[in-house]
Amino acid sequence: MRLLNAIISDIRFQSKQGFYLVYVIITVMYLIILSLLPESFLRIALPLVVFSDPSVLGLFFIGGIIMLEKGQGVIQVLVVSPLTTGEYIIAKVISLSVVAVAAASAITILSSSETINWFLFLTSVVLTSGIFTLFGVVINAGCNNVNQYILKTIPYMLLLVLPCFSILGSPLLYPLTLVPSVAALRLMLGAFTQITWYESAGLTLYLLLANYLLYRYAVKIFENKIVFQD
Amino acid sequence: MIFFTHYRNDSRQLFRDPVMRILIFAPLLMIGLFKIIFIFLPPILISKLSFDITQYYPYILSGIVVMISGMMGIVTGFLMIDERDGNISELISVTPLGQSGYLINRLSFAAFPAFIYSIAAPLILDLGTVPILNIFFISMLSSIYSAIIGLLIYSGADNKVKALTYAKGLNSFALFAFSDLFLLRWLTVISWAFPPYWITMVVKNPQSVSIILIAFIIHLLWFLILIFRYLKTR
Repeated sequence: MRLLNAIISDIRFQSKQGFYLVYVIITVMYLIILSLLPESFLRIALPLVVFSDPSVLGLFFIGGIIMLEKGQGVIQVLVVSPLTTGEYIIAKVISLSVVAVAAASAITILSSSETINWFLFLTSVVLTSGIFTLFGVVINAGCNNVNQYILKTIPYMLLLVLPCFSILGSPLLYPLTLVPSVAALRLMLGAFTQITWYESAGLTLYLLLANYLLYRYAVKIFENKIVFQD
Repeated sequence: MIFFTHYRNDSRQLFRDPVMRILIFAPLLMIGLFKIIFIFLPPILISKLSFDITQYYPYILSGIVVMISGMMGIVTGFLMIDERDGNISELISVTPLGQSGYLINRLSFAAFPAFIYSIAAPLILDLGTVPILNIFFISMLSSIYSAIIGLLIYSGADNKVKALTYAKGLNSFALFAFSDLFLLRWLTVISWAFPPYWITMVVKNPQSVSIILIAFIIHLLWFLILIFRYLKTR
């Protein structure tokens, strides 16, 4: 119940800050761009668009959200409230995933008439969004302003995004799938193209594990560096 | 005189912050990266996909200029919001510089680098021939555009999260630099009201004085409306 209330309150906050409105504008923008592409090219471009924007929006916004709440004293209140740090972070991850799922689904439904594997698609959006939001929580520790946060995300983004190009290369680069972003991209592409059940199951399990480990690390960092400010 | 003394001191202060130093020099790295990409990409695209990207160079150049000035505007917008949260802007507003002086001072942090980088980008990237005089006009438009973005974020957002939301939404403005390519009449008509469209027009039509004039009018209109709105709400 506590967690549910935290999620609802986060969704309300995000809606008040214009997240949903801005993603309506961004979705329209992508629909215009994607409408120009031929159907054969769309099968590659569409998962790349969904992966590169709605799925990673958590990384962009979580820095500002935590910094604002820190400034407003919300985080200090957290220490004496029944809401645990873990629940606070899960609420953020889930609420940002809701925006990601809504934007990703809208872009996909409105731009392609081809059938896709919706289960894989939604799993991939949620797990990718979780990973990037949790990375955002970790990066945020030690940042005093938004510019500092944005700058600190650049090396993380490079580390997560550059290995994604391995998908274009030889099968010898498959071990790079151990990088969570590569696994997430493979799963996303799998929703649009052919993928074996055991590969999709393996990727899903791996991403769940990555989310869990990152969550544990994010809770530890958040408590040490943000709540108790060691 | 007070303005220039403040500007010199604030610039020193700004450059002492390693984060701001990197963010202000980042576009230079971006231009370098694009230079490398455009050495290798066109022959690969021609040989693999028979796609000649050179015909889109004016749009690419305009897109890069819009991206750089947008980035400078966003960085300055965030800086001003942080200063507002830390009551620094309030403190400066009671000095002889005043609130308007503070605004001009900070917006020039975005406009000046945007001007320099918009001169450097066409010269370094060498994506087709753009006359020197036009490069100068494009740079002036780019510096006004960076101030517009900075103002939109600072005056529109009342907190950091809203500022991030605005920054995300304002990135969509870049689409208007490419609207001609979509062959959608309604999109082109909407684009007329937005600065990025006119930056592309000036790049594409270097001889047209009327386009340069309209581009300046649109940019200045946006800038003046935002300044007026800011002063009114203040």
